[in-house]
Amino acid sequence: MATSVTPSPTLARPELAGASRSTDQVIAHRSAPGRTGRAIYLAANIAILVFLLAPIAIVFVFALNPTPFIQFPPVGVSLRWFEKFFSARDFMHALVFSLEVAVLTTMAATVLGASAALAIARGNIPGSRIIVATMLSPLMLPAILTGLALFQAYVLLDVGRPVWGLVAGHTLVTIPYVVRTTLAVLHNFDTRLEEAAQNLGASPTRTFFEVTLPLVKPGVLAGGIFAFIVSFDQFPVSLFLVSPGNETLPITLFNYLKFDLDGTIGAASVISILLAVLVVIALDRTVGLRSTVKL
Amino acid sequence: MGRPVGSHINGLALLILPSALLFALFFFLPIGLMAVMSLLTGNPVVVPHIAFTTKHYQRLADDSYYLEVIWTTIRIGLWTTLIALLIGYPLAHWMARIKSRAGHALLLMAVLAPMLTGIVVRTFAWMTLLSDKGVINQILLSLGLIEKPLQLMYNETGIIIGLVHIYVPFMVLTLTGVIGRIDERLEQAAENLGASPLRAFFEVTLPLSLPGILAGSLLVFALAISAYVTPILLGGFQIMTLPILIYQQISANFNIGFAAALGMVLLVISFMLVVAYNHMLGLVSGQRELQ
Repeated sequence: MATSVTPSPTLARPELAGASRSTDQVIAHRSAPGRTGRAIYLAANIAILVFLLAPIAIVFVFALNPTPFIQFPPVGVSLRWFEKFFSARDFMHALVFSLEVAVLTTMAATVLGASAALAIARGNIPGSRIIVATMLSPLMLPAILTGLALFQAYVLLDVGRPVWGLVAGHTLVTIPYVVRTTLAVLHNFDTRLEEAAQNLGASPTRTFFEVTLPLVKPGVLAGGIFAFIVSFDQFPVSLFLVSPGNETLPITLFNYLKFDLDGTIGAASVISILLAVLVVIALDRTVGLRSTVKL
Repeated sequence: MGRPVGSHINGLALLILPSALLFALFFFLPIGLMAVMSLLTGNPVVVPHIAFTTKHYQRLADDSYYLEVIWTTIRIGLWTTLIALLIGYPLAHWMARIKSRAGHALLLMAVLAPMLTGIVVRTFAWMTLLSDKGVINQILLSLGLIEKPLQLMYNETGIIIGLVHIYVPFMVLTLTGVIGRIDERLEQAAENLGASPLRAFFEVTLPLSLPGILAGSLLVFALAISAYVTPILLGGFQIMTLPILIYQQISANFNIGFAAALGMVLLVISFMLVVAYNHMLGLVSGQRELQ
């Protein structure tokens, strides 16, 4: 707390600047109870971080531990559960199927979502606020209801449980991420850039391809990365829409977990966590984490 | 931001059509069908003579078992929300006030990494911690603090612990945004005028962050009452919540009409929560950040 107040434009006014100086003095001479309070504050926050991260760490311990049951402290390091995971046909089939669905979903959600965001931000459609709210609504509606509603529709239309039906469900729950990140970028840059290009003689088409599109690329990319991980981890929609023999990894893990709790699940989980970490890093590199987490 | 180029509808507007089609066919039509199915006597594809009925809703209202299930779902949601708020607030406050950029990035990663880890994986993690032979019981036993394993899961406590872990990042991110907008100099002014840091917090920061508290709580509550994986695995198939009941009606009973009625109940509750959530966020950020 000994750091000074970040200067801000309003602080330039002398009386406010004076106020902030005296604040600094007060903080510098903070009494012992203030320091105790600070210590409690930090301790509580570290405990909360441990609560958030420890379960994830435990999964790693479990996956690398050679015993077939949970043992703490661990007795050694082995890769046998990873071997078992990669040699189990149902897990491999589920992993590949999940990746296929996630890739198809990402392509669909990225193309549809980015187009929609462009239309909303640059198409001058009346009622764009309602359109945005609608496009974000699958995030707000419990995904289990999206799954249930689609399942019922497929039953009524007698189409069975096709893979495209699953991809459509996943696309629906991932589109909001693409729309949100693309819109964020579109709102952040000035339309005068596009006007300038047109004033300098570029056609609207050329402006679109040479100015607008390159500028929205990071937003679309971030949305696509989100769509991929959300689809890969998706559970409630898949629960209703997968067909036996064509199950996604989370569904296969769930079915396995109902009866068994050995290291294979740990190995599968580690792979899934590493993927999440990669995604966080990729998001940080493309658009910065800060701009992706506006809820 | 300047006015968009031209002020009437242009060619780019057509780009909305593919998404509009997807939403019409795969979102609004299915939800509409669900509403209709909840009022039909049977499945029109299989049963030739069907009629409108309110029997599914009547069954829900008449049988105390179903009301008990709804109450269990809400009770778990309320506990989850309360604990997520108590745990999420300090962390959100720290994230909003931390000066170092690297520190902020690390905190953000610590919050986002669990959020981006699959829900099945996180539930599994809690099973390894909370089960009879889990990590917590093993540690407590080896330290001699307990003689037989504590029952930490297969009950509502286990479900609530798991749900708090899964949804606390949503609380943290909502609160961080709101606390970050509160001018820090207000707290400092209170302290300058002689208030203790604790009093400054309770009389300045906390009241100002109230809309964020409500928005985060509504969000976590809405997510918690629609959770399926965590209640079923950490509840060990012992505790029935609304989403579990919905899936059971489909998978075991194939009673689509009743499942639809249950779905409509969850839909109405969630819709009211979403409206309240948007209203709360609107209060904090004015109109400009709704998009």
